[in-house]
Amino acid sequence: MAKEVKKPAKPDEPDLLPAMGLFTILIPMLLSMTAFSKLAIVEVNLPERSMMQMDNETPPEPDEQALNLSLAVTSDYLVIGARGGFQPNVYFKEMWTFRCKSDAKLITHSPDDVKKAVESGHGPKCKDGSEMDKEKYLYEIESIELWAINKESEEDPGKVIWALYSNGGSAEEPIADSAYVDGNNNFIALPGEGAYGLTPPPSLKKPGPGVALATLTPNSARTLKPDVANKNIIYPLSAYDLIAKDLIAIHTQFIDLEDVDNIIIVANDDTQFDKIIQMMDRAKDAGFTKINLAKLGG
Amino acid sequence: MARRTRKYSEDVPFSLTSMMDMMTIILVFMIKNLDAEGQLLTQAENLILPISTSKIQPTEVSLTVVVDKAYIIVDNEKVVATDDVLAQEDLLVEKVNEVLKDRRAIEQEHALKMGLPADEAGHIIVQIDKNIPYDAMYKVMATCGYAGYTNIAFAVMEKNGGEE
Repeated sequence: MAKEVKKPAKPDEPDLLPAMGLFTILIPMLLSMTAFSKLAIVEVNLPERSMMQMDNETPPEPDEQALNLSLAVTSDYLVIGARGGFQPNVYFKEMWTFRCKSDAKLITHSPDDVKKAVESGHGPKCKDGSEMDKEKYLYEIESIELWAINKESEEDPGKVIWALYSNGGSAEEPIADSAYVDGNNNFIALPGEGAYGLTPPPSLKKPGPGVALATLTPNSARTLKPDVANKNIIYPLSAYDLIAKDLIAIHTQFIDLEDVDNIIIVANDDTQFDKIIQMMDRAKDAGFTKINLAKLGG
Repeated sequence: MARRTRKYSEDVPFSLTSMMDMMTIILVFMIKNLDAEGQLLTQAENLILPISTSKIQPTEVSLTVVVDKAYIIVDNEKVVATDDVLAQEDLLVEKVNEVLKDRRAIEQEHALKMGLPADEAGHIIVQIDKNIPYDAMYKVMATCGYAGYTNIAFAVMEKNGGEE
């Protein structure tokens, strides 16, 4: 007689209802404790009134050994000054990046183009052809980028410098994160082609996997892995990065001076607050812990 | 011909497994973004704070001054229009100074009652829209300093939402 094969019984599903109940309680509780965007503070110290110079007192003798470092922000360039002298100006082309509400994509325009469009009754143009609100566009700027430009003379409009950046965004929407430097601490960068150098130079190629590179962050030398090498982007070099590199070099060179941690950021009246914070970030990253603010020509 | 409707058996069990998967993903996401310490600083309305690499968190609740495109607000009270501040020549914003001096006097009184030194520099957090001109920011900062709030901190958004 053939042996009857017993069919395995269908396993019972575990009772998930109590776990579901627990999850239903946990999720609203965690939702109330979740922070999707974190706020932080950037400290700046003013001299206290008791320590301020009174009018009838004689001013102290200037310390000739002091570094007296300052960083000036104008509408066209950034410049570092120390001991009465100045480094070469770092010229830039200001660009505004907006995120369009219609297609949720980033668009970048120069302030002049935006103002021209607004004067003719239009808002900044999105990628899908729609226009942003011409009344509110100014307060919808997502980021203010300063593209470093290479100038031969004061009259020269200059050419945008393109550099190799790590990608802080996605493949579809790349965001320039950290600029790479080579073994000699030079940016991997070249001036662009065409009018104002707005076309990336063909000779500036993305290094392949296995190439050793670093960023401005200390101890950041690494060999590019294939996925990172493929993600890297060629993007206009930021004037903030050029200044950051100089600030790091100055702080390292004059580390023995008493006022090596002090810096004064000097700006024009119309400089946006965002630029001041970006400069303060670069100065803090370079090791300048005591940041003072002053007005240009004031 | 009458259309036949399909009959479903009555004992089809309700599967919770896929729901559990979804809940588990949400739970992990929530735990990742959990801020157990709480926030001493909340962003004011009608302004976009600049993004910064700073990770310094405020250690105590301080008086907050907000500078947006329309008003300068001290402790949730509209004090003066931002355009008026931009138009004035003087560094000292008189209306803001009056409010800040009153607040400082109250703070000093409280400190004395608690047996703490009252002459210590006051702490203030300034929330400024990223597109506000430096002129307005500088005048507000100078006014804060004049009123005795010399420990000034600017509120910023952490880069990448504070993720490493």
